[in-house]
Amino acid sequence: MLEEIVISGFGGQGLLVIGRLLADAGMIEDRNVVWLPSYGAEKRGGTCSCHITISNEKIGALYIKRPTAAIVMSPSALTRLEPLVKSDGILVINSSLIADKVGRNDIRTVYVPANELAAEVKDDSVANLVVLGALIAHQPITARASIITAINTLFSKSGTMLEANTKAFLKGYTQE
Amino acid sequence: MPDKKILMGGNIAIAEGAILAGCHAYFGYPITPQNEILEHMSKRMSEEGRVFVQTESELAAINMVYGAAASGCRAMTSTSSPGFSLQQEGISYMSGSELPGVIVNVMRGGPGLGNIGGAQGDYFQATKGGGHGDYKVITLAPASVQEMMDLTMLAFDLADKYRNPVIVLADGFLGQAMEPVVIRKAVTALPEKKWAVSGTKGRQKNIINSFEMDPAAFPGRVKVLLDKFDRMQKDEVRFEDINLEDASIALIAYGSASRAALTAMNLARSKGIKVGLLRPVTLFPFPYNAIKKLANKIDRFIVAELSAGQLIEDVRIAAGTEMKIDLVARYGGAPMTAEDIIEAIEKAM
Repeated sequence: MLEEIVISGFGGQGLLVIGRLLADAGMIEDRNVVWLPSYGAEKRGGTCSCHITISNEKIGALYIKRPTAAIVMSPSALTRLEPLVKSDGILVINSSLIADKVGRNDIRTVYVPANELAAEVKDDSVANLVVLGALIAHQPITARASIITAINTLFSKSGTMLEANTKAFLKGYTQE
Repeated sequence: MPDKKILMGGNIAIAEGAILAGCHAYFGYPITPQNEILEHMSKRMSEEGRVFVQTESELAAINMVYGAAASGCRAMTSTSSPGFSLQQEGISYMSGSELPGVIVNVMRGGPGLGNIGGAQGDYFQATKGGGHGDYKVITLAPASVQEMMDLTMLAFDLADKYRNPVIVLADGFLGQAMEPVVIRKAVTALPEKKWAVSGTKGRQKNIINSFEMDPAAFPGRVKVLLDKFDRMQKDEVRFEDINLEDASIALIAYGSASRAALTAMNLARSKGIKVGLLRPVTLFPFPYNAIKKLANKIDRFIVAELSAGQLIEDVRIAAGTEMKIDLVARYGGAPMTAEDIIEAIEKAM
């Protein structure tokens, strides 16, 4: 099974972190993974993307042009990625920040008011975990438990962030 | 029990590979997209009780590598394309002085200051002797994070074996990517260097320079170097070949471009198109013979590179003027995608 995921939005939204969690969860399941950030000149508020490939086979290309799954966290990210998601793929949209609706009907779309849901747990800083939860709920790229294990490992040094991130992930996972 | 894998960034894998290989001294100046090497080394070299210097320039860094290597220790610098240009004089001096050392270039878009996207535009500069004079440098091209570690370790061994600098030529995409890595065993026995300037107590002095006043003597000194470069071409060619037995089209690519080529090859195969891949691991010495043999049994080469037509020149030399060779070039810091290569394959059909 080849999963090619692109996460895109603004720098500072924690996109690379949830990409890292996906890659870690893939490794926990003994699969091959690649994590590729857009890098360098990205900064808080600028455009930022992360490409994650998870596969049982050896992975070729690092850069993903046509993702099987995408998360968009800004209006410009939606404009850029909507035409690129593969047919039958999934597109998760942070509807707190993006008013537009998707025009395609050959892909599955999930609208998540991630910032509102994140505020119920902590604040905007965990909206990234909410959208990750929504993605995993609708497309089990990895097992939910693998993401939880990855969260526990990555945030093991910060009790408050560990708790908030776990709650935010489950909030996104269980929302309708 | 398989070896435990950890998720690691490409630049970090280079730094850790150097430490495992017994690199005693690291000198570097910050430049994207290789900054993680410098950052990681600043922490790890002091932990290991070794030498770390953030220099005032890339020029200083390469000349400190010269000095450290002359003293007999394993030494390294890392940089990206504009900094690599600045280091060419020092690399020429090191080759002329028969000094081992490792230069890592995590390439970015050029020419000039260019941009910070990954690229492979320094192919000529690395493989043809980018500084002055008749010299060559073994150039290793990793295509995965694991190889970032493994080929950095190999670079130190080859540098000592030939008493010549070795270049690890990676690109920004590989430097920034993370992949699972198996940590290798640390090198414990380093080669003895009787030629080093390590203090003359109990022995005659050693002299290390690249300067020869006697006009009759210098051609002989250069010939010693040329013989080494011949031995490298005979003994050190490395490449990976995949699915070439029945191929009618052979893709030629290295580094992150070869990863896109691998995906393109698999997609083409799933459509019944007989495509194979030859991935040079050493760019100098180049696998001319393997490509020449291949040219006799396939219909066409497709060269995929993150530069505007550099690798293709060596493929042309190997394959001959009559051979069909197409170029898929992405440059200026743009990534190579599998779709780019698939398009070229389908066009060739």
